[in-house]
Amino acid sequence: MNNLFASLCVLLFAAKVFAADVSTDFSAANELYAEGKFADAATAYENILRSGATSPALLFNAGNAEFKAGHLGRAISAYRRAELLAPRDSEIRANLAFVRNQVQGATGRESFWQNWLGNLSLNEWTIFATIAFWLTFILLAAKQLRPALATKLKSTTWIFAALTIFFGTILGVQAANHLSKQTAVVISAQAMARSGPFDDAQNAFMVRDGAELSVLDRRDDWVQVADGSGKTGWLQNKQIEILPGA
Amino acid sequence: MSRIKRHIFLIVGLLILAVLGLISPRARAANFSASLDRDTITLGETATLSLTFEGGQPNKLASLIVAGLQFGTPSRSFSQNIDFNSGQVNTRLVLTYSVTPQHDGEFTIPALAADVNGQQLTSQPLKLMVTKSSASPPAGADNGSQIAFAKLTLPQKQIYSGETITADLQLFYRQDTQLAREPQVTGEAADGFTVGKITGDNQGLVQIGNAVYNVIPAKIALTANKTGTLHIGPVTVELVLLVPSNDRETEQFFDPFGMLRRNTQKQLSVATDTLDMKSLPLPTENVPANFNGAVGDYQLTATVGPTNLAVGDPITLHVQISGRGDLGSVTLPDQTALHDFKIFAPTSKVESSDQLGMEGTKTFEEIVTPQNADVHEWPQFSFSFFNPADGKYHTLTQPAVPLAVHSVGATVMPAITSAKNSSPENQTPQDILPIKENLGTPELKNAPLIAQPKFLALQGLPVIAFLAALVWRQRTDSLANNPRLRRQRAVAQLVAGGLSDLNQFAAKNESREFFAMLFRLLQEQLGERLDCPATAITEADVDQRLILLGASPAMLESLRELFQFCNQARYAPIQTRQELVTVTAKFKKVVGELQSLKP
Repeated sequence: MNNLFASLCVLLFAAKVFAADVSTDFSAANELYAEGKFADAATAYENILRSGATSPALLFNAGNAEFKAGHLGRAISAYRRAELLAPRDSEIRANLAFVRNQVQGATGRESFWQNWLGNLSLNEWTIFATIAFWLTFILLAAKQLRPALATKLKSTTWIFAALTIFFGTILGVQAANHLSKQTAVVISAQAMARSGPFDDAQNAFMVRDGAELSVLDRRDDWVQVADGSGKTGWLQNKQIEILPGA
Repeated sequence: MSRIKRHIFLIVGLLILAVLGLISPRARAANFSASLDRDTITLGETATLSLTFEGGQPNKLASLIVAGLQFGTPSRSFSQNIDFNSGQVNTRLVLTYSVTPQHDGEFTIPALAADVNGQQLTSQPLKLMVTKSSASPPAGADNGSQIAFAKLTLPQKQIYSGETITADLQLFYRQDTQLAREPQVTGEAADGFTVGKITGDNQGLVQIGNAVYNVIPAKIALTANKTGTLHIGPVTVELVLLVPSNDRETEQFFDPFGMLRRNTQKQLSVATDTLDMKSLPLPTENVPANFNGAVGDYQLTATVGPTNLAVGDPITLHVQISGRGDLGSVTLPDQTALHDFKIFAPTSKVESSDQLGMEGTKTFEEIVTPQNADVHEWPQFSFSFFNPADGKYHTLTQPAVPLAVHSVGATVMPAITSAKNSSPENQTPQDILPIKENLGTPELKNAPLIAQPKFLALQGLPVIAFLAALVWRQRTDSLANNPRLRRQRAVAQLVAGGLSDLNQFAAKNESREFFAMLFRLLQEQLGERLDCPATAITEADVDQRLILLGASPAMLESLRELFQFCNQARYAPIQTRQELVTVTAKFKKVVGELQSLKP
């Protein structure tokens, strides 16, 4: 028992130290941003993210710094990752929309349904579906244990069963989108998509910084992408950042 | 034969005479004409008078005297050629005079008389119009002594405050000089003007006074920024010229043909005069309510999208204002009355269609977010401007755009706050919302819950709980609907408990209680097997009915023995503990066999 308590204390202490360190680094990066050293600020935010910490505010500020440093693609990538954590943060949405408007050339965009589903994060959809699922089965079990309650619980059980199906379907769609699809955000000023995964392959189409493309395939250091109009081509890994989801 | 020869000689001789006659010089009628290179010049410029004598040279020429005109020393140009067609030798003498007017007006150079080869010839009279120059060149330019100078002219005398005009700047430098490098405008004093872009144009030639100048025209965009009398100039231009060396005597010795003529580099700074212009205030009548100072002539286009969105989602408003004027100062109308929208600071960019930046398109992009689901349209959008050309205000209007705003994902948009370093330089050309000061709760990056095995395993719990409850319910219901089964279980439970009691009684050597319990247990077990009340079980019933169930003779024998023990206990009970234990074991064995019988 004493050992368990000691372990919990150590964990709590480590978490506090971790949070304090991240907060200090975050403030320092904010100072760099305030001084107009946007590239340095972007690097500082990126270092915090590399340490394993993440938060919507951290990613949002990283996006701001990247945008101010002239890196549209990196900014969009940061905002989209922030949006995954806090999908209803209006500031993140506004800045993401703003930066997307600056992007030139071919790019992909989320559909209406993707936008609608994006109002909740994948974890939030998971929690909703889980709550409905658990309550449905708890009610079913209660009906078995107390048959007298069956009539009273019937409508409630149906409601939660319907909610389970509803949330479960959405969760399935979102999970499939999040786990099986990927988006490539172009981080080079401009990149030439090639018709094959070779340096000397023919030019397919040109994409510019910030273009969002669907990932179709991967081969070594090359990623096959498609733009919103259906054109496909291969880009090098170093020219893009890969994000989960379409 | 001799006659034929004589004819041939005659013909050849005539041909020779004919050829000789063709090429022999013959006197040709002389001709005399006079011409001017231009019939209109500006005062200060010099025209060129050419007197041309063809077919001879003048022996005597009347003096050139015209009041108000000054004729320079003539230069001679003589040429002679043979016309093989006519066989004539043509001579041509051209006398060239510079003609410098002393004042403006119309001059007539009268017909001139000349004696050419004894002929009295007369030229036609010539007219020369001399006009006053709009802006006289600086002193010294008229005689070509000024190497370079600059001139500034304005297209109009009046201007509206906020109006943009172009001023013409001309840089003159003498033709016999060369520019060593591009001239630089180093100063443009402008009181009441905002000086915009300066663009150059194609270089040309112009004669001023007795010198020919290269002229470099340029245009300057000027915007009046206040009312009253405004001043522009002097505009200062610095230039470096290669001026021919004046040391001709030395040079002629080494370079008689001028091929190695050297130039001297000369740095000059020339300045224009200061010009005045009256700046008028904008009319105060019929001023549109949303007029925000735009002066020029503009067109408006605006788009709004997306139109189907959720509360809090961004809508991008694209506004294009195109036309002529100071596009840089054009701003969007005030939108503070739009309470249903949160309006973020717009961004703008100007794309000029001319070099001066006076014409083009200014594009605004503004992000707005609807604050509630009651918003049904982006309201009518108007832009007003004052057009100096007609002196009137104009208002351009875009109709309202229907919006479908859903309440899904509604969040209140944050207020726009300035960043800590929000100087104007940092706010343009793009404005995003400022950074967040609070980190929030930092988390370690984890896979989504749906991808975590532990989380997925946890989801089995409610299913297991439900299945357990289901099984329990099935068993409970099954028991409730089967009295024999219920009795079987009850008897089994009773026997299990009874065996324990039997062991206790045996251990305590309580013979009476032991056999009473044993008898009861036998009755209960047999009653359950034979589906009859336990109290109705007698030793006599056992044999007949148990045989029907398939009981073995040994089991039947054991049962009889147990019943006999129970009967003996009333009058001759077993007294030893060991015997009781043996009976217990026998009972246990018999009960086991009984429970295995299928009723």
